[in-house]
Amino acid sequence: MSLARFLVKRALQGVLVVWGVVTVVFALRFVSPGDPANVLLPPDVDPAVRRQVVAELGLNDPLHVQYFDFVTGVPMGDLGFSLVTRTPVTARVVAKIPATLELAVAATVVAVVIAVPLGVVSATRRHDPADYGATLFSLLGISTPNFWLGVMLIIILAVQLDLFPTSQRPIGLDGVVGLLLAGRVAGAADGLLTWLWHVTLPAITLGTYFTALITRLTRSGMLDELGKTYVRAARAKGLPETLTRYRHALRNTLIPVITVVGLQLGTLIGGAVITEAVFAWPGLGTLIIDSINARDWPVLQGSLIVVAVAFVLVNIVVDTLYAYVNPQVAFD
Amino acid sequence: MTSDDTLGRRRFLELSGTAAAVAGLAGCSGSGGGGGGSTQEFPVTIVQGNMPSGLDPHDHRETPTDVVMLHAYEGVLTRTADGSITEALATGYERVDGENTVRFQLREDVTFHNGDALAPEDVAYSINRIVREGVGFASPQSDQLAGVTGAEVADDGSVVVENDGLNPIVFSEFATYCDVMQQSWVEERSKAEIGQEMNGTGPFQLSSYTEDEEVVFTPYEDYWDDTAAVTELTFRAASEAGTRVNQLLQGEADVVVNVPPQEVQRVNDSDTARIASAPSTRVIYNAMRYDVEPFSSQAFRQAMNYAVDLDSIVENVLGGFGSATGQPTLDGFVGHNPDVDPYAYDPGQAEQLVEESGHAGVEIELNTPVGRYLKDLEIAQAVAGFIDELPNVSASVRQRDFGSLVDELLTGNIEDKPPWYLIGWGEATFDGGLVMTALLTSDGQLTSWSNEEFDALLSQAAEESGDTREATLREANALAHDQAPWIFLNRQFSVYGVSERVAWEARSDERIDAYAMSPQ
Repeated sequence: MSLARFLVKRALQGVLVVWGVVTVVFALRFVSPGDPANVLLPPDVDPAVRRQVVAELGLNDPLHVQYFDFVTGVPMGDLGFSLVTRTPVTARVVAKIPATLELAVAATVVAVVIAVPLGVVSATRRHDPADYGATLFSLLGISTPNFWLGVMLIIILAVQLDLFPTSQRPIGLDGVVGLLLAGRVAGAADGLLTWLWHVTLPAITLGTYFTALITRLTRSGMLDELGKTYVRAARAKGLPETLTRYRHALRNTLIPVITVVGLQLGTLIGGAVITEAVFAWPGLGTLIIDSINARDWPVLQGSLIVVAVAFVLVNIVVDTLYAYVNPQVAFD
Repeated sequence: MTSDDTLGRRRFLELSGTAAAVAGLAGCSGSGGGGGGSTQEFPVTIVQGNMPSGLDPHDHRETPTDVVMLHAYEGVLTRTADGSITEALATGYERVDGENTVRFQLREDVTFHNGDALAPEDVAYSINRIVREGVGFASPQSDQLAGVTGAEVADDGSVVVENDGLNPIVFSEFATYCDVMQQSWVEERSKAEIGQEMNGTGPFQLSSYTEDEEVVFTPYEDYWDDTAAVTELTFRAASEAGTRVNQLLQGEADVVVNVPPQEVQRVNDSDTARIASAPSTRVIYNAMRYDVEPFSSQAFRQAMNYAVDLDSIVENVLGGFGSATGQPTLDGFVGHNPDVDPYAYDPGQAEQLVEESGHAGVEIELNTPVGRYLKDLEIAQAVAGFIDELPNVSASVRQRDFGSLVDELLTGNIEDKPPWYLIGWGEATFDGGLVMTALLTSDGQLTSWSNEEFDALLSQAAEESGDTREATLREANALAHDQAPWIFLNRQFSVYGVSERVAWEARSDERIDAYAMSPQ
């Protein structure tokens, strides 16, 4: 199959998945308890005022009309209006994407920078203390809930040792890049430091599970490769060990690792919810939690749809890249 | 189960000691009251659970939004920290014309943040914007000015407010609600713009607003009273209580709301912050439906009150941040009856009353929301635990999603409500008549009880004013105590974490007034 046909096919599949998500997200609202009007308004409000608010919000329309409006709005970027702030959902959600994206990317960087060397060391020094250390680290990393880790990091590193802030995002990476583009390099350096200072703890919190996962993956992949015939052949030909390990074996190990990194990026975007709540990070996760608390259904639906679309897009890109990088995988 | 199962005796003593210390601290940390234009940098950050839902002061119904609004917008009347009514934009207020009309004389040297002078027309317009649908939009606050039908400017420049009757609570309403906006400013802007910008007469003017992230104010230099001592005021939000406490301890926040009792110790142990608390206007109670067994029996309902050790719940579950109640109206409200005490803890009496009611052996289930009020689930578990200890009643707790519970409570039919439920009610007007009308009269919006004598007292109070009305309301409170339509529980306290660098006292009406803050 050609690349073009593959892309069209995957895009169509993606559209189907998003439509499914949109339908489920729409349906969830009607099986969930709690009339939004009752949550928006205090119990003491006059029943006439309540009826009027319900009518204004369009909560009285027949189900199929609401569904049709909802589904046809999505491709146009129209996700309705927030019940709480009465502002367009699309604008609110889009404003949150950079914060979440940069947290996901920072967590991925933390993970890759720590995990790949750790996995390699672990594989090349098998049964050494270093290997046991790395294995223990990944076991702990996988079994530590990230909200607990986040709270611990805040209490120890931020509150007691005063090394990091507990919350806020005074400047985003987009802000730093903006400063760079505006030619204010000195300001950009300060901005970058501020950004790093604020993003470190959330990124570690979000990235730890992921680090552990990649460490294990790199270790087992590397062990696999090191046992293969081509490595033995290279060694027999007298190739230096470092060259054999890092030029050949590691390269082949990294192909599946890259796939997982790509796919996990999607998971991180969706999974940042708890981390964002703990650090009051102004991203999609915080928006999702706040909209659940406020029964702000349109905002919740919009956020979930954006997460789903991001996930589908990342999947398509990763699959395409994977097939492109590894010719053994045909476009089918 | 009793609450002692979850909180050891030693821990309880520690906590109650803390609470006493806290009460002392809150009492002596003097108030600022507009520091008189000091040049010292004094930025303050306040972190609530939610961001404001927008900046239109007439288009919301939430406390967090109100707290942000009160810094930029003002009403004709306001309240002092102890809840009494005082003048703000008005310099005088009185009833005229056979008491159906009230008149506000306005202050003269007041300007809006855009520099324009306040005109009486602006005040009348603001009132009409809330109560009249044709003016601007349909405000969700129209019933907060209940009985008010509109306002006009009189020849002498005062504002005359029309009511549909005597309206005994009209000044109480204006002291709590109705922010004044500038008519021309509102009319020149779209609804969206009004929700994103501010132009009030208050001590602070809007500096920047990032939806969902922060609201920043600077002092308004031409304010009619002293300039605020706070040089920059920032509002942020964190929905997690633990996050807010961490922000306070790290110095990122100066005032945080709703510190949970288990975090109080951590705040007080720090060098940088303290706890400030005040009794709120919210009463927490267990309603019992008068029309279903076993709650249809007055003896059974009284038994439930005798069975609960309320003092123990206040001390052990709430860490001292609450007070026991024995009537629907809280202390300090119009109509509170000082001669009515909370029910005493008397399990023997409770057991006997259950026998008398003929409902011995009954099983009952308490519906409670989770996470809506301070320690709501824990209070419900303690109440059900005490009742379950009676040999002739078994009680259990059913956790409910707040939204679905409220759906059942607000249908307007008593039959749709669960027979026994925990709920809270805040009344910022400090008026017992409003509380009892909504919660206990036969056609109240949230009622679970019907009693002709009680209904008659409340309708009588609606026709009266002043001391006569107060006496009638006291009588209604005494009747409610004896009839026991509720298990009377606690008055909720507002518990704040406050930085040591800020002098500020917590208020009963949940207002966090940065104008009253000064460096300490």
